[in-house]
Amino acid sequence: MPEKLLMGNEAFAYAALEAGVRVVAGYPGTPSSELVETVAKLHASGAARGVHVEWSTNEKAALELLAGASMAGARVLFTCKQVGMNVASDPLLSLNYVGIKGGCVLFVADDPGPISSQTEQDTRRFADFAKVPVLDPSTPDEGYAMMRVAFEISERYGTPVIVRPTTRICHASAFFDVPESTQARPLIDDGFQRDSKWIIFPRRAYQAHAEIDERLPHIRQEFEAGGFNPVAQQGDDPVRGIVCGGVSAAYAREALAMLHAACDRVGMEMPAYRLMQVGTPFPFPHDAAAVFAEDLEDILVFEELDHVLEDGFIQMAGSRHLALRVHGKLDGSTLTRGENGTEDSLQRLAAFLKCHPAGIVESAAQDQGDAPQPPMRPPVLCAGCPHRGSFYAVKRALGKRPAVLCGDIGCYTLGNAQPLDAIDTCLCMGAGITMAQGFSVVEPDRACIAFVGDSTFFASALTGVANAVYNQHNVTFAILDNATTAMTGSQPHPGTGQTLMGPKSDPIDIEGVLRALGVRCTVRANPLRLDEGMAAARQAIDYPGPSAVIFESPCVQLVKPDQPVVIDQDTCTGCGACIRAIGCPAMGMDADGACVHVDASLCNGCGFCVDVCPFGAISAPVRDEGGEGSC
Amino acid sequence: MLNVLIAGVGGQGSVLAAKILAQAALKHGWQVRTAETIGMAQRGGNVTSHVRMGDAGECVNAPLVAKGTADVIIALEPGEGLRALPYLVKDGLMVCATTPIPSVMADLSGETYRTEPIIEYLASTTAHFCAVDDAAICDKAGSRKVLNVAMLAVAVQLSAGVDYGLRGAIGIDELKEALKNCVKERFIALNCESVDIAVEALRKA
Repeated sequence: MPEKLLMGNEAFAYAALEAGVRVVAGYPGTPSSELVETVAKLHASGAARGVHVEWSTNEKAALELLAGASMAGARVLFTCKQVGMNVASDPLLSLNYVGIKGGCVLFVADDPGPISSQTEQDTRRFADFAKVPVLDPSTPDEGYAMMRVAFEISERYGTPVIVRPTTRICHASAFFDVPESTQARPLIDDGFQRDSKWIIFPRRAYQAHAEIDERLPHIRQEFEAGGFNPVAQQGDDPVRGIVCGGVSAAYAREALAMLHAACDRVGMEMPAYRLMQVGTPFPFPHDAAAVFAEDLEDILVFEELDHVLEDGFIQMAGSRHLALRVHGKLDGSTLTRGENGTEDSLQRLAAFLKCHPAGIVESAAQDQGDAPQPPMRPPVLCAGCPHRGSFYAVKRALGKRPAVLCGDIGCYTLGNAQPLDAIDTCLCMGAGITMAQGFSVVEPDRACIAFVGDSTFFASALTGVANAVYNQHNVTFAILDNATTAMTGSQPHPGTGQTLMGPKSDPIDIEGVLRALGVRCTVRANPLRLDEGMAAARQAIDYPGPSAVIFESPCVQLVKPDQPVVIDQDTCTGCGACIRAIGCPAMGMDADGACVHVDASLCNGCGFCVDVCPFGAISAPVRDEGGEGSC
Repeated sequence: MLNVLIAGVGGQGSVLAAKILAQAALKHGWQVRTAETIGMAQRGGNVTSHVRMGDAGECVNAPLVAKGTADVIIALEPGEGLRALPYLVKDGLMVCATTPIPSVMADLSGETYRTEPIIEYLASTTAHFCAVDDAAICDKAGSRKVLNVAMLAVAVQLSAGVDYGLRGAIGIDELKEALKNCVKERFIALNCESVDIAVEALRKA
């Protein structure tokens, strides 16, 4: 009997530990983060013995660290979200050439939708490009099994292997029977053995290319024979086939079961079909695909993100001169972007199989013109979030001065929302720092500001800061230091000194780093004090050359809330200036519009709104005590 | 198949409610899958938890409940009940907490968020609807934190001996037993008490 209800990412951590993983490293990113956190938790409790686990400064650092550990013979696991693979692509492509020794698995979580990402890129495509095998689970249970196989294949063939789940696999839960404790496997061959093969010279790369070309067909054969590309058939002599990968396979199976049940209810015969799930998109199982396609006339391919399986089938059919019509994203037969789902699959399968029983789904919702609308709830900065004060201070300091405000990746991307409206650009991790420099070169009359979080600062901003100093760009960096990686669930980073292994390191001082890199003007400020924040922002913005203002106040998720603020109902005019200025979710207008009220369960008493009210109607106990003094 | 959707706003405890249901289903030996929308949605956005239970011994494929197939919707907030309505099956059960969570965006756009028309609309559209005075239940229990468990109890109680909703598949005692495996020890008594308060409130209504 399975025992523990585990989220996909938690289960994958157990699977890796069971496989004897010795070193686990990654950089946080939704939907991948819980894997490293689970390993850390199990290490801390003593259940995962002999494992080293860390949040590295970024994905490139993580994968390079793991490359070293693997070359010494340790089983290693890398984790990131899909865009993290871009950051780690440099080491990955070369690592596949020099090869590995201890099993090296890359857990890369894709995010169709996208739900919390910048792109809808497809890691299966990346695997093809990097010539690295990839496994694509359709359920958390399957991912659990794939993780173990990935380590074995990696080690047997000396290749990195990618396991690529998507959000709905990572964040879906099921019951798992997991071991009480695990032990990391010892190093192969007593550690690192010197060999010229580990050094990637052009001649070595040429030779390695042949090794890759030789191993991929073997891996393909193993995938063809393995259990990750299951085929099922309904009825006799089908001419229609359904191909699916990842969570789309679960949706397709669900939709087919619903269609079947509806047919049974009305006494219709369920049409014949054959279904293949491709769990090993690269190297593509050509032979298994050909066996599946035998006697089929049409196939419909369900997959999210890119048309990887569709391309595989078109190529297979073409190379074998099959009269097979392949339908999918390319001919508009399936969704070309966003997530698939049971509802969509049901509709498309009913049309494809020409099967339309009555009453497949009977919904309570009716199309009524007069239906009320639910309130909009876009993601916003939390009540009491110090970023709110930082954005507001910079905007107030700028006044009417022309400026461009470069944002970055993290909670503070939400600074773009009304009413703060404090972000003009957002591209990728650390990009704001360098983009601001580009703006300053061509539009020198604008104040060019780059907002960056503390974790992002260490992950990808340092080279950009050095560039500004070196090339003398007139920009201001606004470092929003909330002492955590907030958006992904409060992970530590080099600025906090907290590690996943336990012992604390000396926190790296952001101002010290900026100074060491040659930024001459650096100012620190408490973002929850408007005057202080504005004065600091002005000083940095007015400085000719690279400058920085460091807003320091911990994330509200890290600190115990203080007493909520109090609004004096007699003084409050109901002007709503506070709501329009900072839009704190703890504040709302009374139904009669006479007064602003505070939701005491949301307000954490930060007191920033005290500085915003033009009538002095708000007071904060924390201010009276002088608790939140300036830095 | 039993499909349950728990709809609320970040921080209301929909994820824990899903866990408790899954734990209760496990005791029956059913296959269970749950899924949550987490990530950016946590920052004040709407959160839904999906629980799918193969109560007839069938296998659960998709992690998410499809639209028009939820047997029960547990709405922890009226606006979120309305947002989740398309998921409810025609003869399904919706239990809906009446206390609104304000939306700062509504204030900014000058619209007032009124829940009465929403509750009325939900009551008129659904086959089985129960508006729950969650504030009274939570006040009596002495904590807002029990909202999720109290609403679960309402759904379980209203499903007893009927062929809709949870169809009597899970009992109040099973719910209490399951929550013991899911909440911290010092909160077990409080949560069990809130189950009783919720059941008692239904009896009086």
